[in-house]
Amino acid sequence: MPGPSAQDRPTPPPARWRAALAASLLMSVAALAACSRGEVTHVQVPKEPAAAPAAGGAMGGGMGGGMGGGAPPGMAGDVPPPPSPAGGAAMKWTLPKGWAESRSGGMRYATLKAPIPGKLDVSVVVLPGPAGGELANVNRWRGQIGLGPVDDAQLASARQRVKSPAGPISLYDFTSEGQQKSRMVAGLLESGGNTWFVKMVGDAEPAARARPDFIRLVESLRFDPATP
Amino acid sequence: MTQRPLRSVWDALTSLKLTIVCLALLMVLVIACTLAQTTMGTLGAVNAYIRSFLVWWDVPGTAWRIPVAPGGGLVGLVLTVNLVAAQARRLELSWRKAGLWIVHAGLILLFAGEFVTSFFQKETQLTIEQGQTLNYVESPRDLELAVIDVTDPAHDEVYAVPEARLARGGEVALPGSPVTLRVKGYLENAELANRGPSDPPSPANMGVGAMVSVRPLPPIASDEQLNRRAAFVEPVAGGRSYGTWLVSNALGAPQSFIHEGRTYVLSMRPQRQYLPYAITLKKFSHDVYPGTEIPKNFSSLVHLSNPSRGEERDVLIYMNQPLRYAGKAFYQASFGKGDTLSVLQVVENPGWLLPYISCVLVAAGLVLHFVVALRRSARRRQSAALLEAA
Repeated sequence: MPGPSAQDRPTPPPARWRAALAASLLMSVAALAACSRGEVTHVQVPKEPAAAPAAGGAMGGGMGGGMGGGAPPGMAGDVPPPPSPAGGAAMKWTLPKGWAESRSGGMRYATLKAPIPGKLDVSVVVLPGPAGGELANVNRWRGQIGLGPVDDAQLASARQRVKSPAGPISLYDFTSEGQQKSRMVAGLLESGGNTWFVKMVGDAEPAARARPDFIRLVESLRFDPATP
Repeated sequence: MTQRPLRSVWDALTSLKLTIVCLALLMVLVIACTLAQTTMGTLGAVNAYIRSFLVWWDVPGTAWRIPVAPGGGLVGLVLTVNLVAAQARRLELSWRKAGLWIVHAGLILLFAGEFVTSFFQKETQLTIEQGQTLNYVESPRDLELAVIDVTDPAHDEVYAVPEARLARGGEVALPGSPVTLRVKGYLENAELANRGPSDPPSPANMGVGAMVSVRPLPPIASDEQLNRRAAFVEPVAGGRSYGTWLVSNALGAPQSFIHEGRTYVLSMRPQRQYLPYAITLKKFSHDVYPGTEIPKNFSSLVHLSNPSRGEERDVLIYMNQPLRYAGKAFYQASFGKGDTLSVLQVVENPGWLLPYISCVLVAAGLVLHFVVALRRSARRRQSAALLEAA
């Protein structure tokens, strides 16, 4: 390839500087113009049928080099783990007929789906330690459906006891005020240095229909014998 | 008077010295980028050294950033201009040189393709379980704070605040909603733990954050790990505050508040791009060679549904056989959850064909140039032989 010839007259420095300066200025403007992101967006989307699964993929080991330079970085499997509960005990339960479950990431141990139409969310969450204590959690739950806080005495009168193979569970059942009533049925179990929360929250009507199955699920909670 | 400076610029632009300097700079940048990957991660280093116009240096202990070298973008641009200018100045327009013209055109197209790729290529992923239908792809590394109005039974209103906006802090209005977010704190990477009795009170007084202590950590540069972003936000609507919430991608618990009968869910999640079509994973298959654990093939049988175009079809995606649809290519990348979950890498690059075309042009140009030169030398030999014979 005939490149530029090497016998070019040396360019006087000032002009070269000016050219370089002009070029770099132009580039900087272009670069600045290219990064005008970071704006809030608004879209209307159809309801998602269920909570999206947390990425928990394993690396495709031994996939050969046919992936265009291997599997991409930042893939499934690198979602940061939640603050891990102590001991690593695995909670099990008997899923009521027609219910579905998906294990998810973060502090949410599992998301359960009752076969009942309407707004209803059932979750199992585990937090290390006392997780703020029973009163604080119950008041937080009450706050979520627009109810005011209770004191220790009212807490004791609202508490129901449910027995399960995993241990005794404190169960609470609250219904909100107002025209569109929300209902929350939630159990709390302290075991092995962790606090487990099993919670059903949603519109009052589907929550009432799902409640018997939910109570049976709570009564079936047990720890996997393979783990301490 | 203006003739001289213009002339010298033209001389500089067409000089071989500039070509050599640019090539040398590119080599230095490649080496520097390779070394920087240990601290910045592949993507960070490539963005800082190769896909940038200037390489910046953060002066330690200050907020100053000083440009210290030209980046790959600037060098590539100068090299392209140099190539075009030198060609215009020296390469005669004749059939004898047609091969070289084609080679140069191919090279210019190769540079152009890299520019298009570096500025316009978007990589996302689709993490989908068997039986699931999704109408969005997610960024593998950028997060967003989604404020979702879930009141309507049929659809959700999603207001997405990109993390870059959270990092700037201040008040973020959600256009189309009565809600404004006050960003009270943002951590690029944080350790979240259960708040002990000795921990200071959390800035969050609502939601799960009240029970969580948040400790800032230096950001992770590795490609294999994600930072745990955390932010404290205070939603304000109709003149009243709904408390301060901790949002983080390390929190799984959904958090929500109710304003005038409408429920808003707060969720820190990977940045989403919604698609005008939906993809269902019908079956993920993971075959091994008989009697071994050696993987043979990974494939995802997906159903593509685009009612707006009246399209309903099944597609099998497997190694080196992506689904190319509406400007995106879906590659099989990973899997998990006992072979019930598939991860597809989604690449959107308007310039994906350019490198192929430029390689064909360069090869064709070289072949043409070789043929022309061969014919010329054959003729010379012929005439030399005739002279000797005479």
